[in-house]
Amino acid sequence: MTWLRSVVAQERTSSRLVGVLAITVVTLAITFVLPPVADSQLAGGAAISIVILGLSWLVGWSGQISLGNSGFMAVGAYATGIWAAHHGSTPLIVTFFLATLIGAMSGLIIAIPSTRLSGPYLAGMTLAFSAAISPIAQNYTSVTGGEGGLFFNTLTTPHWFLGFFSGQNATINANAQWTADLAVAVAGVAFFFMANLFHSHTGRAMRLVRDNDVAAELVGINLPRTRTIAFVVSAAFAGLGGSVYVLLNATVNPSAFPLTLSITLLTLMVLGGIGTLSGAVIGGIIYAFSTNLISHLNSLTGINPTSNLGANMQGIIFGVLLILTMLFAPHGIAGLGRRIRFFVKSARRVAPVSTGE
Amino acid sequence: MKIGKRNRRVAALLCSSTLALATASTGLIGANAGASTSTPGVTATSITIGASVPLSGIAASYASVSAAANAVFKYVNKLGGVNGRKIKYIRLDDCYGLAAYGLGCTAGASTTPLSNNQQLVAQDHVFATVGSLGTAAEMSVMGYLRQNGVPQLFVSSGSIEWNQPSSFPELFGYQTSYVAEGKIFAKYIKANYPNDTIGFIGQNDDVGATGLQGLEDGGVTIPSADNLTYNAADAISGSTSDITADVSTLAQNKVPVVVLYSVPGFTYGILATAHALGYSPQWIITSIGSDPLSVNTPLEAGAVTTSYFPSTTDNADPWVPWVRKVLEEDPADFPKFNASTVMSFNELYGAGQALAFVETLRAEGKNVTRGGFVKALTSTTLDTPAITPLRYTNGNHQGMQGGAIATVNSNGSLAPNSVTVTKTVFTTTPFAGSPLNSSNWTIAPIPSWLK
Repeated sequence: MTWLRSVVAQERTSSRLVGVLAITVVTLAITFVLPPVADSQLAGGAAISIVILGLSWLVGWSGQISLGNSGFMAVGAYATGIWAAHHGSTPLIVTFFLATLIGAMSGLIIAIPSTRLSGPYLAGMTLAFSAAISPIAQNYTSVTGGEGGLFFNTLTTPHWFLGFFSGQNATINANAQWTADLAVAVAGVAFFFMANLFHSHTGRAMRLVRDNDVAAELVGINLPRTRTIAFVVSAAFAGLGGSVYVLLNATVNPSAFPLTLSITLLTLMVLGGIGTLSGAVIGGIIYAFSTNLISHLNSLTGINPTSNLGANMQGIIFGVLLILTMLFAPHGIAGLGRRIRFFVKSARRVAPVSTGE
Repeated sequence: MKIGKRNRRVAALLCSSTLALATASTGLIGANAGASTSTPGVTATSITIGASVPLSGIAASYASVSAAANAVFKYVNKLGGVNGRKIKYIRLDDCYGLAAYGLGCTAGASTTPLSNNQQLVAQDHVFATVGSLGTAAEMSVMGYLRQNGVPQLFVSSGSIEWNQPSSFPELFGYQTSYVAEGKIFAKYIKANYPNDTIGFIGQNDDVGATGLQGLEDGGVTIPSADNLTYNAADAISGSTSDITADVSTLAQNKVPVVVLYSVPGFTYGILATAHALGYSPQWIITSIGSDPLSVNTPLEAGAVTTSYFPSTTDNADPWVPWVRKVLEEDPADFPKFNASTVMSFNELYGAGQALAFVETLRAEGKNVTRGGFVKALTSTTLDTPAITPLRYTNGNHQGMQGGAIATVNSNGSLAPNSVTVTKTVFTTTPFAGSPLNSSNWTIAPIPSWLK
């Protein structure tokens, strides 16, 4: 079982590759079983999980806080939309790469002044950025399409993939699943990169900066540089997530990236677990199926969905979940698993001693 | 090295199990779908259609449009359906495409017009979407519906995007375009306010842009200082700075006539802001933003708009009492609707969409296909409450082509509840530079099978 421990502990690049690959493959397999609507929801969750992962890295590993990630997401999304409007035939991988790059560049621009700030001041600065993105998009109508935004076709399913399907709704089912599989695959690549980053020299330096910046400086870590890298990486992930999100929705408009999305991202990150890969996955899943959860709760409790209470169900659910998480699982749902494992282990360790006496 | 080999073995195992799973589940899908090879959504006794519409949020006042359509479908079902088929109408809330804000939206944050349409197409297997609402919302699903061969019928929006028969053969608009309406406004302005400065406040999207295009096409120039736009998304997130700034600019410039291209929620906001500034110009409001029951303020009295329906209080028109009867028979969608309830423009609008659907379906005959429906739609005479004919041809999918000038009646200190519609209908084609023609109202007869 040594190899399994190595995969779980992510000691080597190869074991990280296997770990991420296993989760990706399992998720891809799940898309074959899920109905097409759930597939589409899962695709949205995969896109959001990339953004959450980027945020998780920034908050959990470098100790900086950002309310600007919906803005970085919008940058990646618009980069994709504007590029796709003129170069529709570009391979997707190039589009994703461009969106990531432009997201990273916007992160760099924000990072340079931000590295001098910390705590609430930094949050305020990033908040201003995400608040500014929508008006910019709304006003440069000739490039961004104004408030209506830009529109393009949904992704086309390749022929070899269509071959897996038959029957009356073959194309529809194949389309839904192809987009889901694509989003999951992109998320898999992003998660692999992050898994390596967590265990890299930069990752370790980042943690030291977070825990004790004086000690970090003493051992020769360049503080502003490390903090800037944290920001740039986070923005790059948000840009990639925004790009995937846009391709799934076939449209990009300012109303898709409101300030409240940044808050939602932070909430999802905390619910899932800060600074972990599994936390980002859990956050993405909660996002993807929140609509089902709300309608299920509404029908369970008999609340009229169009009443004031029903219409604000989302805020209530997220709020209650957040409070419960903070009280009982400060490391998020992902941390809960670790906590339970720890308790079970310590209980086992205690048990033989007591019977031995 | 030892670990590396094992990893490869694990990877191989996972890959092969996925492949096994893939083949297994595709077999399942094939078996499921093999049961029927007919048109999606159509069985011998039913036909399923759907719509993505705002039922909550800023544009929730439009909810009664699809509710009225649903009432008509229920009425038709009570009469035995169309050619023996009962109509099932699935309405999903998209919060006008703004669910990401989460403010007052019943739909979850991840709900978009596209996700709703995916549900309608992939899960509910609808025959077509009927009366989905919103310019930006419906533009975001045009590609998806075309890709899957699903007709997108009677889109509730005055955009000219719906009229592209060569690239979107199964896409059909419904109401008079904002361009045509802008031209009608231009004619009215030139006749009544030839020497006045005209101001404009439009939603910063296709609604505002095409409305302005129509005004300019009709020969009305708006000085750039008085040509203003607001962002619906900003205002929804709690900041009304856009609207306040726009209205104060016009108030400072003392602009005597202002054209609004806004949804009812924002029409109210603009009128209230102007009132607070002591500014009361002649308001000219697009038909989609002027329904007095939706705007719901006494400040709207005297405003000019266009209408392609008779006044909802005009009981001499045969359709008004008919629609009232249909709504009264549907207490699920219209609770408390009784003889003294005042009807809004929305109900006539939605009833017209449902009527157009059932009449085409009836004309198509017993054998229903999507292609056959589209063919029938471009060759059937559609009888609806509209005062201007609803007609589709192979080369024109816009829908209605005209409207009449209407004035919002005063109701004393209460919010107005009716409009006076003038008897002259102006029609035009959606093509640039085409002239306005005037004619009298067309009152379509109520088909005998619906009486």
